[in-house]
Amino acid sequence: MDNTAIVETHSLTKRYGSRVLAVDSVDMSVRRGEVYGFLGPNGAGKTTTLRMLVGLIRPNSGTATVAGHSPGDPAGLKRIGSLIESPGFYPYLSGRENLRVVADLASVDHKRVDEVLDIVELSSRAHRKFGTYSTGMKQRLGVAAALLKDPELLILDEPTNGLDPQGMAEMRKLIKDIGQGDRTVLLSSHLLGEVEQICDRVGVISNGKLVRQSTVQDLIGEEGVLVRAQPMDRAQQVLATMFGDEAVSTQDGALHIKVKPEQSTEINRQLVSAGIGVSELRPFERSLEEVFFQLTGEKQGS
Amino acid sequence: MIATIKAEWRKNRFRPALLVSSGLIGGVAVLVFSSNWYLATHPGAGERAVTLASLYPDHFVNNVMGAGFPLGAAMAIVLGAILAGSEYSWGTLKTVFTQGPGRLTTWVGRLVVFSAWMGILTAILFAIGAGYSAVIASANGHSITWPTLEAIAKGFGAIWLIFIVNGTIGMALGVAVRQSAAAIGIGVVYLLSVEIIAVRFIDQVSNGDYKWIGDLFVGQNSTALIGHLGNVKAVTISTEHSLLVLFGWLVAMLIVSAGLQRVRDVT
Repeated sequence: MDNTAIVETHSLTKRYGSRVLAVDSVDMSVRRGEVYGFLGPNGAGKTTTLRMLVGLIRPNSGTATVAGHSPGDPAGLKRIGSLIESPGFYPYLSGRENLRVVADLASVDHKRVDEVLDIVELSSRAHRKFGTYSTGMKQRLGVAAALLKDPELLILDEPTNGLDPQGMAEMRKLIKDIGQGDRTVLLSSHLLGEVEQICDRVGVISNGKLVRQSTVQDLIGEEGVLVRAQPMDRAQQVLATMFGDEAVSTQDGALHIKVKPEQSTEINRQLVSAGIGVSELRPFERSLEEVFFQLTGEKQGS
Repeated sequence: MIATIKAEWRKNRFRPALLVSSGLIGGVAVLVFSSNWYLATHPGAGERAVTLASLYPDHFVNNVMGAGFPLGAAMAIVLGAILAGSEYSWGTLKTVFTQGPGRLTTWVGRLVVFSAWMGILTAILFAIGAGYSAVIASANGHSITWPTLEAIAKGFGAIWLIFIVNGTIGMALGVAVRQSAAAIGIGVVYLLSVEIIAVRFIDQVSNGDYKWIGDLFVGQNSTALIGHLGNVKAVTISTEHSLLVLFGWLVAMLIVSAGLQRVRDVT
C-alpha cells in the first residue's frame, strides 16, 4: 500500500430537488492498495456517492478523481471494476454469456471470463441462466464481472446484501482474497463486523456527510479515560480546565476524557484535591459499533 | 464502437422477444396471403375484393408492404420499447455504462444492432411473401414472374425505414419512461389509435386548413410511401415529403433518446 490516493473527492454534493440533500460536501480519500470500508446506515448516502464515483450520476457540485480521471471518463472506467447495489444482468442469458457481453463492452479477452468464474467459484453453474440464480450466485457473478478488467480499483456496494450467513462469510473471504496485493477495494457496507474484519481504513457517512475517516484501529482504539464523580458539574469544570472543553464529554452519566490512560493518576489527584468524590476511574475502549453509533447519532439496538 | 456492437449483438441474438417477433412477422405474412388467397377463391355475394392475379409473385412486394404496415410497425415499436426499457428494469444499464465505452457509443451500438434486426424482420417478411406468392402461382398453374430488383429494393427499403422509425419511437419511449411495459402501451396505443384520431380531427378542422399538420405524422407518411410504391392513386402526400418526414422523425427520436441517455442520472 502507498499513500497516494486512487479516489479523491472534494466537497462532493448531490441534491435531489430542493429538499433532499443525499450527499453533502464529502471529502474522501482512498489510498492505493488498501481495503477501504465506506460505512453508514441505510440511506446515509453511500450508494449515491459510489454512483457518482463511477459516473452513473452527476454531482451538483464538488469534484472527484477516480483512478486518475474524472468519474465516468472511459479511460478511468477501464481501470475500475464495480458492483453497484444489485448485480444487473440479462436474465435470459447464462452467467457465462452475461460475462462475455460485459467482456465485449470492456474489450477484454473471453479467456478472462473463465478465470473470473473460477475466482468466484461459479464455473460449474456458469451455463445456467442468470434468471435462475440464487441471490448469492447473482452477487458472485456481479463480483466476477467487476473483476473482468483485472481492475486497479474495485468498488463493491454492499456485496453481502441479501446473503445468508454462510454466503456472507464466503463473500467476505472472497473480498479479502481479492484485496490482497496492489488492488484497491472500496467496500460500502452497513455491517460493522464486515468492515472491521475486512478493511484497513474506514469512512463513516451519516445523513450525507462524511463524519469520520481513519484506520479501523484509530477509530476503535481512540484512547480515553472514563470518570464517575460527584458533583458531576464541578468534576467537568476541573477536567475542562485541565484538558480543554473539547476533550471532555458526558455520556451515560459518566465523563469521557480524550487523554492517555497514563493521565489517570493526575486526574484523580486534581479531582480529589478539588473536593470531588471519585467513584470510578478507568481507561475505556470502544467497539466499532459504539463508535459508529456515536458518529452517526443512531441509537444502539434501534 | 465495434466493442459495443459486438456486445449488443451477443446479448440480442438469442433474445426471446426478437426471436418471437421473427416468427410473428412471418406469421403475419402467412396470414395476409392465406386470407387473401381464400377470399380470391371463395368470393362473397358482392364483387371480389381480392383477385388471384394480385397475389402472384409480380405483386408480392405490394402485399408484403401491406402486411408490414401497420402490424409490423406496431411490432417494431414494441421491440424498440423492450430493448431500451428493459435495460432500466433489469438494472443492466449501470453494468453497461461502467465498462468503458461512453454513453453515446453504447447508444449507437444498440441502434446499429436494432436496425440490423429490423432488416432481418423485413427480410423474413419479404422472403415469406415471395415464397407464398410463388406457391399460389404454382398452385394455379400461373407462370412465376418477379418484380424488378429495383421495385423489390424500394419496397424493402420503405418497410425497413418504417420499421426503424417506429422502433426508434419505441426506444425513445423506453428511455423516457425507463421501463418497457408502459412504453409498449403508450407506443402501440399511439400508433393504432391516437394518431388516427388526431389526424382525422386535424384534417377536418377549418375545412382542412391544418391538414399540413396531419401530414407530419408517422402513420400518414408511412401509408403514403407504401401507397406510392404500390401505385395507389389517391395518395396526397408526395414520396419526397414522406421520406423527409420519416427521416425527420428518425432523427428527432434519436436526439431525444440519445440526449436523455447521455444527460440523465442512472439511479
